Amino acid sequence: MLRIEIDATKCMGSGNCSFWAPGTFDLGDDGVAFVKDDAGDDDDKIVLAAQGCPTQAIAVWRGDERVV
Amino acid sequence: MLRDNETFSSESIRAGMAAVMGPYPLVGMDEPDHRRLRSLVAQAFRQKTLAHLEDDLVVPVVDEMIDTFIDRGHAELVRELTYRYPVQVIAVILGLPRDDYEQFHHWASAIISVGARPMEGIAASRDLRGYLERVLEDRRARPRDDLVSELAASELDGERLGDEEIFSFLRLLLPAGAETTYRATGNLLFGLLDDPRQLDAVRADRSLLTAAVEEAIRWEPPLLITSRVALHDTEVAGTAIPAGAQVIPNIGSANRDERRWDHAEDFDLFREAKPVISFGVGPHMCLGTHLARMEMRAAVNRLLDRCPKLAFDPESRERDDPHIHGETFRSPTQLPVRFAVAA
Repeated sequence: MLRIEIDATKCMGSGNCSFWAPGTFDLGDDGVAFVKDDAGDDDDKIVLAAQGCPTQAIAVWRGDERVV
Repeated sequence: MLRDNETFSSESIRAGMAAVMGPYPLVGMDEPDHRRLRSLVAQAFRQKTLAHLEDDLVVPVVDEMIDTFIDRGHAELVRELTYRYPVQVIAVILGLPRDDYEQFHHWASAIISVGARPMEGIAASRDLRGYLERVLEDRRARPRDDLVSELAASELDGERLGDEEIFSFLRLLLPAGAETTYRATGNLLFGLLDDPRQLDAVRADRSLLTAAVEEAIRWEPPLLITSRVALHDTEVAGTAIPAGAQVIPNIGSANRDERRWDHAEDFDLFREAKPVISFGVGPHMCLGTHLARMEMRAAVNRLLDRCPKLAFDPESRERDDPHIHGETFRSPTQLPVRFAVAA
């Protein structure tokens, strides 16, 4: 089980995360990404989405270990 | 480097573009102006906003172009489809009248070719600005459901877009939205046509198109490089970069980094999915990623739907040697194809 944190001040609203992991991430009307279901996709998809974030606004943790 | 916009400025891009794009091209602006302007225009390019566009707008544009060669059983897809459809998609998104498409396409071609023929590009940009001024005036008086009306009305923290900012943004859509998409669609088609096994797989299972699009933009990104200027002394991978130095990140090279990709030189839509850098990264990452992917998918989908047995034309291939060409921008010289004509 992953824990996902989005830094709203860094998010630029590219929608990259919702492209890679559409079950997990979505963009709000304010153009900032949010987590709609922290297990909405396979873990590797969520990690890809976080790695691909253009402004590194997404942190992913597995237990105490930071994955992204 | 692309993520660190405090060290690496995009201002040099603006300087190079100002004559054609006006004073506010998003791609060449730094913070805080860049973020403010980008937030105002971003709404129109979100995945959700675009959801209805594929069927309502992009597919009809592609279909109309396929109509012009469908009965012939052969076509040259660069000239007859890929070069034309993204400009027309932009014309429809802007809400331009149909009768103006030809003229708009003419301006777009001249602006896209400004590097090769500067005077014509600059003249086209001036004429297009005059034309867009009239469109903007009309939409301010009578708003419609189109991008110009949306930009005219968009507001952030009580601030509206200025006219100059709107004109700069609209003109930037041509090189940013039309040129890259036409080249990327050509590269995708080339990769598929060149390997009938992968083309057959996509024909049979269209859900593979998403992976095919990602692989095409990795394998042959339409734009190979971008540009930054260091604002203070810094270092990249052990190399000292003095303040004021221009730095050219090579996207094409990163996309074929052998430490990241196996058999990186090959087009292989079945490779493991990983993010690519073709749309850039950082605060300037392409605003049109979702539109571009959707346009590419729609164009190939409709070709495969409507042109059975689509394949490279062997004779023309032998004679004309179509290949992907270019140093800064890359796309196929030609895409000669044959297909079965419905009885």
